[in-house]
Amino acid sequence: MSRYLVRHETILAVLLVLALIVLSFQSDRFFTVDNLLNQGRLMAEVGLIALAMTFVIVSAGIDLSVGSILGLVAILLGVFWQNLGLPLPLAMVLGVVAGGLAGLFNGIIITRFRVPPLIATLATLALYRGLAEGISQARSVRGYPEWFFVLGQGEVLGVPTQVWIFLVCAAVAAVVLGLSTFGRATYAAGANAVAARFSGIPVDRTILLIYTASGLISGLAAVIFVSRVSTTRSDMGTGLELDVITAVVLGGTSIFGGRGTIIGTLLGLMLMQALKNGLALAGVKGDGTIVVIGLILIATIIISNLVRRETDG
Amino acid sequence: MIRTSLIAAVALSVMAGTAWAQTWTGGDDLPTSPLACDATPATAAAKPYDGAEPANVPDRKGKEITVVDVPKLIGIGYFNATSKGIADAAKELGNVSVKTDGPTKANIDEQITFIDNYITSGVDGILFAANDPVAIAPVLKKALSKGINVVGYDANSTPDARQWFVNQAEFNGIAKALVDNMAKEIGEDGAFAIVTSTFTTPNQARWIAEMAAYAEKCHPNMKWLETVEAQEDNVLSFNQASTLINKYGDELKGLFGMTSVATPASAEAVTQAGKCGEIAVVGLATPNAMKPYVEKDCVTSVVLWNPVDLGYAAMHVMRAVADGALKPGATSVTAGKLGELQVINGSEILLGAPFTFTKENIGGFDF
Repeated sequence: MSRYLVRHETILAVLLVLALIVLSFQSDRFFTVDNLLNQGRLMAEVGLIALAMTFVIVSAGIDLSVGSILGLVAILLGVFWQNLGLPLPLAMVLGVVAGGLAGLFNGIIITRFRVPPLIATLATLALYRGLAEGISQARSVRGYPEWFFVLGQGEVLGVPTQVWIFLVCAAVAAVVLGLSTFGRATYAAGANAVAARFSGIPVDRTILLIYTASGLISGLAAVIFVSRVSTTRSDMGTGLELDVITAVVLGGTSIFGGRGTIIGTLLGLMLMQALKNGLALAGVKGDGTIVVIGLILIATIIISNLVRRETDG
Repeated sequence: MIRTSLIAAVALSVMAGTAWAQTWTGGDDLPTSPLACDATPATAAAKPYDGAEPANVPDRKGKEITVVDVPKLIGIGYFNATSKGIADAAKELGNVSVKTDGPTKANIDEQITFIDNYITSGVDGILFAANDPVAIAPVLKKALSKGINVVGYDANSTPDARQWFVNQAEFNGIAKALVDNMAKEIGEDGAFAIVTSTFTTPNQARWIAEMAAYAEKCHPNMKWLETVEAQEDNVLSFNQASTLINKYGDELKGLFGMTSVATPASAEAVTQAGKCGEIAVVGLATPNAMKPYVEKDCVTSVVLWNPVDLGYAAMHVMRAVADGALKPGATSVTAGKLGELQVINGSEILLGAPFTFTKENIGGFDF
């Protein structure tokens, strides 16, 4: 298995380098520090959620509700701060906690009531988006103080603030998934939940924690997103789950569970962002870019399946 | 814990719901200025320039410039028409190369990314139609800080994030035209519902707020039932309109379509429900999409401006700004075949009065 992982990530890394080289020949503004850092800024929210999504998919689950949780938390942040008059830092914390609760709710439906994750989170995708629209009554909350924008629009040591947050979270996620007992429980639950249960691994607790973390980190991404665009809207994050899942799957995480790494997800994310940005700079229109990303996704998965069949077999 | 938070969430939404019960859903909270019930025109108050100025602008007077047009979304009739107007004007000017590119859904995050990428690629000018006036502001300010000329059309941003905005029609003018036409068709005590894009889309929210204010002033007995969101999605608009027709039955006398997608979809829903002549559809739409319904007498009034002219004017304004011909404090600008256009509200350029398409005149328009 480890040989396969190396293989898939090697393929991705080669593809990424190739893409970077080709794209920098297409436009001299692509491979500049300014542009790359800016891409990091644009990628941070999807990236953060993709970290949690890697755990979710490795555990043989899926979380479709992340985009809706992002929308709900964005609205709650505005409501807590403006309508309830709480101090903004407290509203930010409460918002993230609310995201965690939304994730916990997903986890409870999945583990207690044995609802398949696809259906459970498809239901909460609608539920959380509906709550966001109901609570907001379609009113945007605006006029946040200047300091709040540091999170989404500011820089620390020349690097966008949210890129630091993303790097820290990525490091933590990589260590937890790759090196901790929790990470091994995640792989075990995804590879064979029954066997994992008989081996004394607390499968339900692991899954509950993973979905809660997915909600929490979607909440964090929501706060960053609000700070980046300086307003809240109930339709924020619509369709975000598809970008996230694409990045994770592109990164070599098996949709059937039991396999995947944070490094793979990071490579998948970077490849996707590089293509979106590089093709736009090279003069390809938006609709063309989507087609290329779709083709690359299919190609990568076919190549890695072929390679796996050979090594396995 | 979960139960408590859910109850809290529901309670909150109910509270918020009652707080806004007086106004029509889907409007914004900005002050309204309904026009007079008769045809008296409003007097424009002079206002100082409130747009922004780009930093370190290179001299572009008379030089070839590259302009990108980022509408709310691409692939729909309305923005195809504005994009045609922009291309026409660029061709006529001869010293502008322009390209239209944007998201395929009216999605604010994607639109921001598009603009951001074009800033990096180094354009001279950005034309935009905002999906959200505030959310788009940071990226437009970034463009201004890099010396790029920024002009909006169709849907505004906050004034401090762009130089000029080409206003297709004043909100209260459109609101008056829509509500007057509806009152004429369904009577002074008819009940109606609204199909809009989303509650936060700036134009639609503004129109609905102005419509509510104007209806209260001039047609106080008309009854508002509900406003539904349908993105700018054809199928969803049809479904939402059908749901309204089934939900309210005979009580529903009229449907307002607030977008060029929602109006024909609502007309189609009325046609398929066999309610032509019983439920009036009044709305904003492009003539081509409405011709079948107008010819069948299912729809009698379609309100709009000419989006080709809107794009045409936006391109001319962009050129005038780049040339330094349109400066803060100006009271009018020359826009090719459209002639002199007036500056209103400090930094907006008014295209003209809204236009009502009817069975008699709709055949003469093709967009």
